[in-house]
Amino acid sequence: MQESPLSLYELNSLVRKSVKTCLPDTYWLQAELSEVRTNYTGHCYVEFVQKETKGNNLIAKARGTIWSNVFSLLKPYFEESTGQAFVAGIKVLVKVSVEFHELYGFSLTVQDIDPTYTLGDMARKRREILKQLEREGVLTLNKELSIPTLPQRIAVISSGNAAGYGDFCNQLHKNDSGFIFYTKLFPAVMQGDKVESSIISALNDINSCRDNWDVVVIIRGGGATSDLSGFDTYELASNCAQFPLPIITGIGHERDDTVIDSVSNTRVKTPTAAAEFLIDKMISASSILDEHTTSIKEGIKQIVDSQYEKLSKMITILPLRVRIRIKEESYRQDMTKSRLSSSVASLLMKEQHRLQLLEQKMKSASPFEIMKKGYSISLLNGKSIKDSSILKEGDKVETIYHKGKSTSIITNIEQ
Amino acid sequence: MPVKKMTYDQAMKCLEEIVNKIDNNELDIDSLASTLKEAEEIIKFCREKLYKVDNEVKKILEGDSQSEE
Repeated sequence: MQESPLSLYELNSLVRKSVKTCLPDTYWLQAELSEVRTNYTGHCYVEFVQKETKGNNLIAKARGTIWSNVFSLLKPYFEESTGQAFVAGIKVLVKVSVEFHELYGFSLTVQDIDPTYTLGDMARKRREILKQLEREGVLTLNKELSIPTLPQRIAVISSGNAAGYGDFCNQLHKNDSGFIFYTKLFPAVMQGDKVESSIISALNDINSCRDNWDVVVIIRGGGATSDLSGFDTYELASNCAQFPLPIITGIGHERDDTVIDSVSNTRVKTPTAAAEFLIDKMISASSILDEHTTSIKEGIKQIVDSQYEKLSKMITILPLRVRIRIKEESYRQDMTKSRLSSSVASLLMKEQHRLQLLEQKMKSASPFEIMKKGYSISLLNGKSIKDSSILKEGDKVETIYHKGKSTSIITNIEQ
Repeated sequence: MPVKKMTYDQAMKCLEEIVNKIDNNELDIDSLASTLKEAEEIIKFCREKLYKVDNEVKKILEGDSQSEE
């Protein structure tokens, strides 16, 4: 027998009752958001989808509702924890109850969200990007650049009206030490889906006049809620990693680094910290300069002092030395003098003695001395006769005696 | 090289060399005055880089910004 037909409402009521009976609890659901809409009352309407493991074809789909009283708490909590806007395209883990309404049909009511799941998914994506950059050998290129000793000429990529940009400029230009910095804003969109393209375009502008700049600073202006997903793209990371000037990022979020934080030369948390980092660089350059200045001044003073000390020592030592020297000299002179006179005397004596001896010798050798003893000299024609053979009989020979002389005639010659 | 044409790093290198000379007792009294003068010139140059606006740099960067904006 055929049952009496049901009205659509009656059927839908049956479905609603069945759903309520069969699925009475709340369930944790993993799904991707394919659509997110909020209306003026503050309710949020979403669409959950599930795709094939490989490929993009949908295998499940469901509408979802987040009532305004839940959404007003859930959205900031999620965005603050993840640094990711609650938008279509992200994967979420939500606690839902299953509803069926006679008029509006099947729908999931979101009661809670677990941001760690989304964070995990985002981290996985970031890791993949970093791995790819590593494979391409560009991951650490920007880190390998060294920040100049004086990072004074700063190209700033930020949104001009952001509080962070103002904080950065204030901190930098009003630094206590009075260091000079030159900054210029290269405006870019720092939130939403234009982040990637606008930062890349700003980088290209800087690159076209890169000799004018020492460093690039990418800063994002604070705010409670934040969408950092734009900083986690491969294209932007690849551009930053290979940029020829060192990049300092101050994206300003407490959670894990974004991809461009990971590839940039230096990562700081806030725009203010970026300014402080640059000021610190200047402080360390200036303290090295101060050190050198002091050591040069002190060193030169030391040299002058030590030379002066040497000179004063000389001044005291010199007269003393001169006096000693003069004394030495006069003593030497005295010594020489006395030695001279004594040696002259002894020399004279020696000579006298020698003379006397000679005189004596001479005296004893004189023929007159010999003749005194009875010897005489015979001369023939004035020459002494040493050999009788020169004589002839009848020669007249003169004989000289000690006293007087005589002449005799040779009568007999013997040989 | 004249100080004015040096980069900051080159100037610092010159200063370091002077410091080393003094430390190693290689500086004689005759060159003291000229070395001190040279050091003072370099220090002045370095300080100006740190604390004084270089109008030439400013002009280049401003000129740059005008052409872009």
